[in-house]
Amino acid sequence: MNTSVSVQPARRPGGARARRLAGSPALRVSGRRLLAAIPVLWGVTLLSFLVLNALPGDAASALLGINATPAELKAFRIKLHLNEPLWTRYGNWLGGVVHGDLGTSIASPQSVASILGQRLPVTLELVIFALVITLVVSIPLAVLCARRPRGIIDRFNMVLSMGSISIAPYVLAFFLVIVFAVDLPVFPAIYSAPTSIISNVYQFALPSIILALPLIGFYTRFLRADLLEQMQSEDYVVTARAKGVSEWRILTRHALRNSFIGLLTIIGLNIATLIGATVIVEQIFSLPGIGQELLQSISNRNVTVVEGIVLVFGVAVVLANLLTDLAYGVLDPRIRHVRSRS
Amino acid sequence: MSVPAADILATAVPVPAASAGEPGARRRGVLRSAEIVIPGTVLLLLLFFCFIWPLFGMVPKPVGGLLQTTDLPLFSSGHIFGTDIVGNDIMSRILYGGRVSFVVAAAVQVIGLTIGGLLGLVAAYAGGWLEAVLMRVLDVFIAFPSLVLVLAIADGLGPSEIHVIWALSAFSIPAFAQVSRAAALSLRDRPFVVAARLSGTRTWRIMFTHLVPNMLPQLLTFSLLGASITIIIEGALDFLGYGIPPPGASWGNMIASGQSYISVYPMLVVVPSLFLLLTTICLNLLGDGLRSRWGVR
Repeated sequence: MNTSVSVQPARRPGGARARRLAGSPALRVSGRRLLAAIPVLWGVTLLSFLVLNALPGDAASALLGINATPAELKAFRIKLHLNEPLWTRYGNWLGGVVHGDLGTSIASPQSVASILGQRLPVTLELVIFALVITLVVSIPLAVLCARRPRGIIDRFNMVLSMGSISIAPYVLAFFLVIVFAVDLPVFPAIYSAPTSIISNVYQFALPSIILALPLIGFYTRFLRADLLEQMQSEDYVVTARAKGVSEWRILTRHALRNSFIGLLTIIGLNIATLIGATVIVEQIFSLPGIGQELLQSISNRNVTVVEGIVLVFGVAVVLANLLTDLAYGVLDPRIRHVRSRS
Repeated sequence: MSVPAADILATAVPVPAASAGEPGARRRGVLRSAEIVIPGTVLLLLLFFCFIWPLFGMVPKPVGGLLQTTDLPLFSSGHIFGTDIVGNDIMSRILYGGRVSFVVAAAVQVIGLTIGGLLGLVAAYAGGWLEAVLMRVLDVFIAFPSLVLVLAIADGLGPSEIHVIWALSAFSIPAFAQVSRAAALSLRDRPFVVAARLSGTRTWRIMFTHLVPNMLPQLLTFSLLGASITIIIEGALDFLGYGIPPPGASWGNMIASGQSYISVYPMLVVVPSLFLLLTTICLNLLGDGLRSRWGVR
């Protein structure tokens, strides 16, 4: 397949490295994926624009309240160009985005970019903490379960993972807050701006555990099943056994590496769900992240802010999937070689 | 290549996962049916108590409680789970709230299964540009944080049961479409389908009498897991203020409104939480049990 997205090789001495880089399958894959993502992102913004505009009420009536006179409403709409036709507004917004301008919020004079800049770090930190907790817990747990299927750890984990998949985040939040913030005041129940790195970790501990727990249940179950399947049916496991490699080493060095590929797919697919779940958790712990802003902006019909947030979410999902794809190549030489031949 | 008949059997007949010689295979057979029977029975009991029991008139009304009977503790006479801060019987609110949870979950699954399932099936079987277009649209929905759509729909239409159903279907339709497309793709080129096509069977007949019956195990187990997620998200909408409006009962809004009184009266949250957890666990267990019984991956 010929996709000429990658950088042109430099025509100067010492350009060999650049040429090699440009020809590298990773770069080509990235370019192809990013190009393919553009229509998807465009569709996402269009969809959210249409949905928001189809809703009854607009920013003028939501922000000025029910006591506003028709003249005030009209003036407000003209000021913010809300009186223009749908397509003109979308076109103007899209034109701005293409030039790197996300527009200004309807509710305040702030630019959407600066609102995102304030809110994004909180949500990002939450998502990263949650993912780190998930992986740190679920990978060793799954390996231990797969070492002795139907052993004591495995049985314990079956109960635990079923529970953690089934429990609603707000119910879990309720119990964790009661235990760790009220009875044993270890962690704070309500967010206050962190002053140091340690207090920052404290602030995010409970919310990220709540986000992580269902994922831990899900990933552990998946990884355990995948490891067992690898150990039972794969030829390379037979080869390793024939060489006299110990079972533990086969499990952790051979099978685990192969199972990571499946795990990565699941993580990539789950990123959107995880980001969605932050909205609820941010609300429960009153974290000043993207989710809170989103809720507010939807009820204010603050279209530009919602569009900005949706775009960020969309880009995050696309990037996560791209990273997943690139990691396949790192983990699996077969994928790497097929790509470099194509 | 295996004969078509064996292929049909492979999906229709439960796949024995344990080899016969394995010790404890028999006991595992019993366990396996317990995996299905126990959660199934609990769910049927819950459904019975939520939908049929109140018809006998032995349950007090879920609204219009008396001021004299507020904040009764557990196991008081006439109120097994006590009463809430306005004197409504908690037991009765649990049962009526359960109706909402089950109806919403079932409706969202049915909508997802029919619309999403059909889209996935058509996309996989038709192939070509139709599949490309449908899948790009699906990609948009998948890259789109579904909660945004759900919140926008719930906010715009206002809080009510039917609007919650429409909002949550925004989740289930793309998910079902993906599962059904994957299932249909794996069946599309199987010998029995090819044989049907070669013998001149009409496309819609191949889809509905050859493909759909073989896809059902996968779609049904998926919808059980989906139902459990739907019940949880319905509660989350209550939490964010977009769910079932307050005088009406639902497990989610009972938990949400009870949170203000957790320090004085934790039962307001604990009882609905336990029912919610019991229901979602049973749905997940039943889904898992059926999945291993039917050999769905």
